[in-house]
Amino acid sequence: MRRPSPDPRGSGGPGVLTWCCAAVCLLVLSVALLGPLLASGSPTEQVGPPLAAPGAGHPLGTDVLGRDVAARVLHGGWVVLVLAVGATTLATLLGAGGGLWLGLAAEHGGEWVMRAVDVLAVFPPLLLMLLLATGAPDSDAAVLVAVGLAATPFSLRVVRAATRRVAATGYVVTARARGDGWPAVVRHDVLPNVAGTVLADAGIRFVAAVHLTATAGFLGLGRGAPSANWGRMIRENLPGAPLNPLPVLVPAALLAAFAVAVNLLADRLAEHLADPDITRSGA
Amino acid sequence: MTWGPFLLRRVVAFVPSLAALSVLVFGATELLPGDAVSAVAGPSATEAERAAVRERLGLDRDPVTRYLEWAGGALRGDLGTGYTGGRSVTELIADRLPNSLLLAGLALAVALPASVALGLLAGARAGRRADRAVSTGVLLVAGLPEFVLAALLLWLLAARTGLLPQVSLVPLGGTPLDAPEILVLPVLTLAVSGVAVGTRLVRSASAEVAASPWVEAARLRGITGPRLAARHVLPGALAPAAQALGLMTGALVGGAVVVETVFGYPGIGLELQQAVAHRDIPLVQGIALVLCAVTLATVLLADVAARALDPRRGSPR
Repeated sequence: MRRPSPDPRGSGGPGVLTWCCAAVCLLVLSVALLGPLLASGSPTEQVGPPLAAPGAGHPLGTDVLGRDVAARVLHGGWVVLVLAVGATTLATLLGAGGGLWLGLAAEHGGEWVMRAVDVLAVFPPLLLMLLLATGAPDSDAAVLVAVGLAATPFSLRVVRAATRRVAATGYVVTARARGDGWPAVVRHDVLPNVAGTVLADAGIRFVAAVHLTATAGFLGLGRGAPSANWGRMIRENLPGAPLNPLPVLVPAALLAAFAVAVNLLADRLAEHLADPDITRSGA
Repeated sequence: MTWGPFLLRRVVAFVPSLAALSVLVFGATELLPGDAVSAVAGPSATEAERAAVRERLGLDRDPVTRYLEWAGGALRGDLGTGYTGGRSVTELIADRLPNSLLLAGLALAVALPASVALGLLAGARAGRRADRAVSTGVLLVAGLPEFVLAALLLWLLAARTGLLPQVSLVPLGGTPLDAPEILVLPVLTLAVSGVAVGTRLVRSASAEVAASPWVEAARLRGITGPRLAARHVLPGALAPAAQALGLMTGALVGGAVVVETVFGYPGIGLELQQAVAHRDIPLVQGIALVLCAVTLATVLLADVAARALDPRRGSPR
C-alpha cells in the first residue's frame, strides 16, 4: 500500500519554528531549574499587602497572600518539570521493558497481558492521579507514579509492536540459532532497531506528563500548600486576577509556552524518526 | 460477522473490564498508606478514638471482604455513604452526573462538526497550505493544558471585560439550563481542547483515505474540491475517526474535572476533586467507578458507531 499522509510541512532540515521551539524550551527550563538559585527572596514569606501591583523589590507584585510573585515563579517550576521527567522515565522504562518482553518472549500469556493493558489504557489518566492522591495524600511521589503508570500502556503497545517487527525479520531467530542468550540478543539485535521508536515515544509521553503534573499542581495534589508550584499559583490567584493578573499570567505563560514548544518538538521528532506505530492517542 | 454476535461480544467484554477497573479503583484508595481513619478522626485523635472510628467505618475487616461488600452494593445501586456530610453517594452522583453529561454533550456538539470540517479540510489536501495552517494551529492549541486554557479564557472574557460570569452559580433547585450564560465558558474550554484533539484524528484518517486508489480514481474522473472531500474521502475516514475519538474519552473525563473545578460548575468532576481534597473515600470510589463505566460505555459506543459508519461493512474483504 502507498504510504499515506505525506509530511504536511515538507521535508528538509529543522525549520525556523523548530529552532524557536527549542529556544523557548531552553528558556523555560533555565527559569525552572536555575530559578531557585537566582531567587533572592523567600517564596513563602509574606512581604507586602495582597495582590499589590509591581513595585520596588517586587518586579511582578505580590500574590493573594502578599508573597513575592517573582520568587514564587522562580521556585515553582522545577517541581512540575522534575516530576514530568521522572514520570516519563518511569513510563519509558516500564513500557520498553514490558514491550520487549511481550514482543519477544511471551507467546500465549502475552495475549492476556495485552488484554489487561488495553483495559488499563481506558482508565482516564487524571482519575488514576486523583485516586493515588487520595491513597497517598501530599505526596509528590504519588503524582510521579500516577503519571508514569498512566502513560505506560501506550508506551508498552508501541514498543511491543516495534519489537515484533524486528523479531519477524529473522535477526532474532538467527542469533538465537547460533546460541546467543536473550540478554545478548536484546542488546545487539533488538535494542538498536527499536531505540528510535522508544525515543520518539518518550517525547510524546513527556508532553502528556507535563500536562498532567501541571494539572496536579492546579488541583492541589502533591506536596501541600505553602510551597510554590506554577499550577497551584494559577489556582490560588485566579480570584485575584482583576487586581493583579501577573501571578496568574506569568506561570500560565511559562507553562503554556513550554507545553506548546515541547509538543511541537515531540511532533517533529516523531516525524523525523517516522514510525507508523507511534500514535498520538496517549498525548 | 452480523450485528447480533458483534454487539453480544462487545457487551460481554464490558463486564470483566469494569470488574477489573473496580478492583483497581478500590485497591488504589484502600491499600495505600493514606488511611481514611486519620482523615475522619483528625490528626490529634487518641489511639482509642482511632480504633472506634476504624470499627465504625468497618475498616477493621480484611480488604477482600470489604471489596466484595462494596462491589455487591454497587450492583444493587448502593455505593455507601460519604464521610463528610453523611450523604448517600448514589444520590449525590444521580444529582450531579446529569450536569456533567450536559456539559460534555454540549462540548461534543460543538467540537465534533468543527473537528470533522477542519480535519477533512486538512487531510483531503495533505501537505498543502491549508493543511499546514490547520495542523500547526491545532498542534499549538493541543499543547495547552486545559486549566491554562480555562484560566486564560476566564481572564479574557470574564475577569477583564465582565461579559460572562466567572463562577457557575446554578439557581437553587434548578439546573444549569436555567442560567445558560454559565455554560458558555466551560463548554467553550472543553470544545476548544476537543477540537484540537479531534481535528488531528480526523486529519490523519482523511489523509490516509485521500491517498487511496479509489480517491485517485475519483480524481481522475474529474471530481475535485468539496465534492471529492465530502463524497469520496469522508465516508472512508469517519469509521477510524470515530474509533479514535472513543479512545479520547479519558482525556475528556480529565478535562471535565479541570474545567468544572476552574468555573465551580456543579458537576461530578468538581465533586470528585473536592472528595479527594477531603479524603472522602466512599465518594471518591463511587465517582471513580461511575466515570470508569461512562468511559467504557463511550468506547463501546464509538466501536459500534465505527462499525455502522464503515462503508465496507458486510462486504467480504
